[in-house]
Amino acid sequence: MPDAAEKTAAEDTGERWWHRWFRTPRELRELGVVGINMRNARFLLPNNPRRLYDLVDNKLRTKALAEAEGMKVAETYGVLLSPHDANRVEKFVEGRDAFVIKPTRGSGGKGIMVIDKRAGKNFVKPSGAEVTPGDLKNHVSNILAGLFSLGGKRDYALIEYRVQPAKLLTALSFQGAPDIRVVMLHGYPVMAMLRASTKESDGRSNLHQGAVGIGIDIATGMTVRAIHHGKPITEHPDLGIGLIGVQIPDWDTILHMAVTCQLMTGLGYLGVDIMIDETLGPLMIEVNARPGLAIQMANGIGLLRRLEPVVAQHLKHPTADLEAKIAFSKKHFRAKLPPARD
Amino acid sequence: MTPQGKLLTAVIGLTALGGGLAAYKSHKLGVPFWQGERVDEWLVEAKVSFLATGKQVKARLSLPTDAVRKGSGQESGSLGYHYDEEENQDEYTAVWSAREREDTQALYYRVRFKQGLASGGEPRPALEKPAAPDVPKLPGSLGAAAQNIVNQAKSVSADPDSLFVALFRQINDASSSQEYVLVKRHYEKEAVVNPNIAMGIDLLGLAGIPARLAYGVRLSDENAGQAPIPLLEYYDGAFWKVRDPLEPSKLPDGREMFVWHRGGGPLLEVSGGVENSRVTFTVAKDRIPLATLTDLRDSPFLISTILALPVSERAVFRYIVLIPLGAFVVVIMRNLIGVPTLGTFMPVLLALALLEIAPLKAILMFSILVGAGLWFRFLLSRMNLLVVPRVAACVVIVTLLMMLMGVVSFQLGFSVGIKITLFPMIIIAWTLERMSLIWEEEGKRSALVQVTGSMVVAVCAYYFMNVSQIQYWAFYFPEMLLILLAGILLIGRYTGYRLSELIRFKTFKNA
Repeated sequence: MPDAAEKTAAEDTGERWWHRWFRTPRELRELGVVGINMRNARFLLPNNPRRLYDLVDNKLRTKALAEAEGMKVAETYGVLLSPHDANRVEKFVEGRDAFVIKPTRGSGGKGIMVIDKRAGKNFVKPSGAEVTPGDLKNHVSNILAGLFSLGGKRDYALIEYRVQPAKLLTALSFQGAPDIRVVMLHGYPVMAMLRASTKESDGRSNLHQGAVGIGIDIATGMTVRAIHHGKPITEHPDLGIGLIGVQIPDWDTILHMAVTCQLMTGLGYLGVDIMIDETLGPLMIEVNARPGLAIQMANGIGLLRRLEPVVAQHLKHPTADLEAKIAFSKKHFRAKLPPARD
Repeated sequence: MTPQGKLLTAVIGLTALGGGLAAYKSHKLGVPFWQGERVDEWLVEAKVSFLATGKQVKARLSLPTDAVRKGSGQESGSLGYHYDEEENQDEYTAVWSAREREDTQALYYRVRFKQGLASGGEPRPALEKPAAPDVPKLPGSLGAAAQNIVNQAKSVSADPDSLFVALFRQINDASSSQEYVLVKRHYEKEAVVNPNIAMGIDLLGLAGIPARLAYGVRLSDENAGQAPIPLLEYYDGAFWKVRDPLEPSKLPDGREMFVWHRGGGPLLEVSGGVENSRVTFTVAKDRIPLATLTDLRDSPFLISTILALPVSERAVFRYIVLIPLGAFVVVIMRNLIGVPTLGTFMPVLLALALLEIAPLKAILMFSILVGAGLWFRFLLSRMNLLVVPRVAACVVIVTLLMMLMGVVSFQLGFSVGIKITLFPMIIIAWTLERMSLIWEEEGKRSALVQVTGSMVVAVCAYYFMNVSQIQYWAFYFPEMLLILLAGILLIGRYTGYRLSELIRFKTFKNA
């Protein structure tokens, strides 16, 4: 028998015995949690026409669009198109110490190789592992063969500027560069999070690989909540640094970038990934037409609670402009702020 | 129309179409809906046997009209005889003829028909009104006695049917009146084969009712070589009717009696140098082979054409029709339960492979192959090969591993090993490639979770596809796949949570 005090405490938090194992569909619905089926059927399929997918699946096209809008993106050092180019990969990175090689059609961070510096003839990854020129060529050939691309299509390799993340953000991450994901519906920012890697995630920012998800208040750009493997935390599991109450710099710029991405691609439901460079400020990294659902865990709010008001607002004002959309989101999606970081 | 409306229309339409076709096939065409539901048929074989004396032989056997006309699988076996079928005024006759036959001869004629169908003894309209029957010539007092009997019977009956019943009740009754005994004794003395029936025919003739002999076969597979059962056919003014004189009040029952010969004339007629001719019948109950029953070439529905294919082509479909079932399981496992798999339909192909081999052995083999293949794959990756050659190298290695496993398991005495060649090799090679990629990109945990998920889904799909009733439906009622399609469409609009999400979001709390 659990003692009385424990029992009342459990009742206070609304905790039930089964919450250790699962939550009932009804409970999740009351929390406004969006499942994959609902995301696909209600938000992805009706709002994201198939023909627009290539705009965001092909990073070259996304970057071209963004540059045409005057948005800041990571500088392209070169595009490797053929096996011939792959053999000359060292020519492309001549004079560059730090760079990133990625497939133009990769997804979920697959096939991205980050080089921080050189060590003699070799290159050094952020983890300190050395990469020989041969490894580099091999990686490029894999990219060209379509190993990392969606559906295994033949692909190109993109060499671009290695973002030097803002100190404020690198402090929150164990190696790797943290990025900011803003999810939008009809151009209204609905939720945002910062993804920081851990020892376990090995420089990657995928939450299911053990990265930390940090919810960001849309109104202020302040971090409000953090989760690791689905459980709320307040400190980074490896670094012990407090994750709550951090102000993301250039928040308004970030929101503007995100909404511009929606306008330029025409996708109704999308996620925009942004990194903040120490010197260049926010840079748009990629647009995702199928953003995941972990963001609602990081924010502790069911996505439906934000998507439904946006759907209603969009019906009422189908031609609202960028500023009006940001203002709406800031007004309605303000988080209950925790006490500021001391 | 709203998308929901369209979906609902499609779902209802597909269900109605699939269900309707299946119901039509089951009820109208007689394809059993449940596997193992018996549909029996009778196989009646007439054997004409005689002793030939080295001269020309001609045998004529009267045939059941309905059976011949329906073409219900009659066949005749008559080695060295010229065989022909004659039709004369709706009556069919088998005619065998041969020159210079010696020794015991046997001719066969077989008829198959579905159990419970008509007996062939139904009232049949006369083509032309039969001539008034000859009044039998009975000497003196016998004639008076017969006339008395007929008058007496007529007085208690209203129509030819009841007269028939009244007469034969008396004839069959051992303790009947003096007059019966008198007349009966006369016929017995005349040494006719069936005195009672001969007497009945004459008495009916006296009453003005034409009557003639018919023959039937008792539908029981207990006594082989039964003699034909004499029946009586009489004319009631509009129809020729058949009744069994031994059970005069009972109409012929299709479950017990098959009327082979009617329409007068002899059942068997053998001419030439022949002795001891006779015809016997053997009856066998047989389960109708489904292939015959479902031979729906005549059916107007295109959907049934799968059964109109030659047997060898159908064998291919036996597996093909299972793929939608596997796909259905994948949809359930992925969209309702949320099991992660490698690729979407790889589990279906795996499940098809499991159908070939016992699942436990197959899983063991798959694990060994994938494990060994993965190890080789990592060795290869150290050589920095390009992707396509690397996949090709994987295929070669998997092939060699399969051969090795086949040989080893054969040496160890498992014949199953040989069958592994049917195991879809490309699937394994591709699984290896996919898995090793995920291993490198997302870590071994993801890779193992997805491979295990694929196996679980494949095993579920296997058990679903292996239910023989479901295989039966898929094969004999392929239109039921439309109902499956409707179900898949419905799941396609399911926006609720997956089972795995209930666990994934278990820690979800309002901030």
